[in-house]
Amino acid sequence: MTKETVFEGLKDILASVKPKLDPSNISFDSKLLTDLGIDSLSMLLLSLAAENKFNMRFASDVKFETVGDVCDYILKAAN
Amino acid sequence: MNRHDYFYHMVAAEDMQRLRYIPTVSEFVDWIAAEYAGMPALSDLTRTYTYQEMCERIARRRAFIEELGLQKGAHIAVFDRNSQDAIELFLAITSAGYVAMMFPSALPEQAVIGCCMKFDIAALFVRDEFAPLCTKLQDVKVVPASSIADKGIPAARVDKESPAAIFFTGGTTGAPKGAVLSHRALMRGSFNAIFKPGRVIGVHRYIALLPLSHVFGLIAGTMGCFYTGNLMHTCEDMKATIGKLPVIKPTILVIVPGICDILAGLCKMYGPQFLGGQLRQIISGAANVPPRLVEIFTKLGVEFCFGYGLTEGANLTSANADAVEKPTSIGRVYPDQEYRIVDGELWTKGDNTFSGYYKDPENTKAAFGEDGWLRTGDLVREDEEGFLYIVGRIKNLIILPNGENVSPESLEEPFYADACVRDVMVKEVEMNGEKVIGIEILPQMPAFDGKSWEEVEAYMAALVEKINATLPSTHRIAKVMVRKEDFKRTGSMKVARN
Repeated sequence: MTKETVFEGLKDILASVKPKLDPSNISFDSKLLTDLGIDSLSMLLLSLAAENKFNMRFASDVKFETVGDVCDYILKAAN
Repeated sequence: MNRHDYFYHMVAAEDMQRLRYIPTVSEFVDWIAAEYAGMPALSDLTRTYTYQEMCERIARRRAFIEELGLQKGAHIAVFDRNSQDAIELFLAITSAGYVAMMFPSALPEQAVIGCCMKFDIAALFVRDEFAPLCTKLQDVKVVPASSIADKGIPAARVDKESPAAIFFTGGTTGAPKGAVLSHRALMRGSFNAIFKPGRVIGVHRYIALLPLSHVFGLIAGTMGCFYTGNLMHTCEDMKATIGKLPVIKPTILVIVPGICDILAGLCKMYGPQFLGGQLRQIISGAANVPPRLVEIFTKLGVEFCFGYGLTEGANLTSANADAVEKPTSIGRVYPDQEYRIVDGELWTKGDNTFSGYYKDPENTKAAFGEDGWLRTGDLVREDEEGFLYIVGRIKNLIILPNGENVSPESLEEPFYADACVRDVMVKEVEMNGEKVIGIEILPQMPAFDGKSWEEVEAYMAALVEKINATLPSTHRIAKVMVRKEDFKRTGSMKVARN
């Protein structure tokens, strides 16, 4: 699994979590809260879906700023 | 159908005849121990306690509290997640004649210290994991939340008018306050939570998904569950618990619309079996329930009921068991409670009315109209069948999807400490089709000394991020707008909000 494949998978999840979000606007540098509107409740859904998709677990106290941060974490946890 | 019959006929008759209003938590704990003795009460998935076992543990916790040597009526806080300890402690503190205050589990260290001082906390029960946040407390007995004595003591006799608990609330204006609920009010709110369609006693598996620091989680959820002899699953980690829904197989969920949205999303991704396959009812409230959620869950065969309330009214003011027919109504006002609509604003009066804000006579006075009527601050209309509809709000609050009320002023305050900020306004805004917290910032341009507009915007974005880092994750500002033009202002030159 590469960072790019995680990113594509994460974009699919984001499209389900935020149906009105334009996926072409999502980049590694997109800020979860201030660019995409991913608040703590949306983050809960995103992390549950990512755990299922990538067969990994998020630590309960982990915090992310950007989409890239989430990709890096998933890549590390899944490998 | 009149209001009394609407509610009393909602519950199956064989269950309704077993239920009655109990005016104090002390009597309530004794009553559930006797009425539901051998029925399952509390589970963490590793062990399930019956009502008798849970109430015996509550009695042993009361004995431990007595050993602390506090004055009767002293304030005792609990700083924990939604654990077995926290649930038992709430019932132990209140049935021992003390006043309970449940701290939110996300409270930062400074806020723990501030709350202990502001609310005169004499003792604090702390989850081990949170103990490092409590080392600087002075004049507060800090004890582990797991503390329990070997032998129990009986519940204290308490006056129903004496305070039972203090809850955080945004109130109608300004900074967070402590709403004091008497035993009478807390128990009337809890009794209102029994009103659900059909069989209610011993038929449900609940999950404590909502914070116990919020009246909706504690009164509508936990107290309502125990009032009707049902099983409550603890929830120390919301994500992990939601992941276990297929194992817990809840039959009822008391949740805010934000969590409904998550569950709807999970159903869409993984199918309705993700919810465990036995869910029959969702009780939702504390924030506006979008009709689309009613539609989604109705299609899944889940009965959707929602209600309306405020901390000052012990959470439960009105309920709508006809969500399909009237999806935008907050329902009818609970029985044994009066209401009137004054200049469009809903006023209520009854046992569930709070006693006032702790040490805050000014705001307490403002919360009441004449003759003890509680002003809800919400503008409503009523249809011909007595169903109410919110049409506006007098109070200046943002209702978050998780049901919390946030006063914009409390989020604005830290921005004024920055010399580059002239004025700000926090408000609810749309982002990607959803409501989020946004801020408009008017820069103090001379402070930027000829810097470009892009640099000004970058500075403000960084400032918001810096302040966001100090806020609970649910209160963070998602959208930033930097203004080139001044705000519209009132006659006194304050920022005009509307």
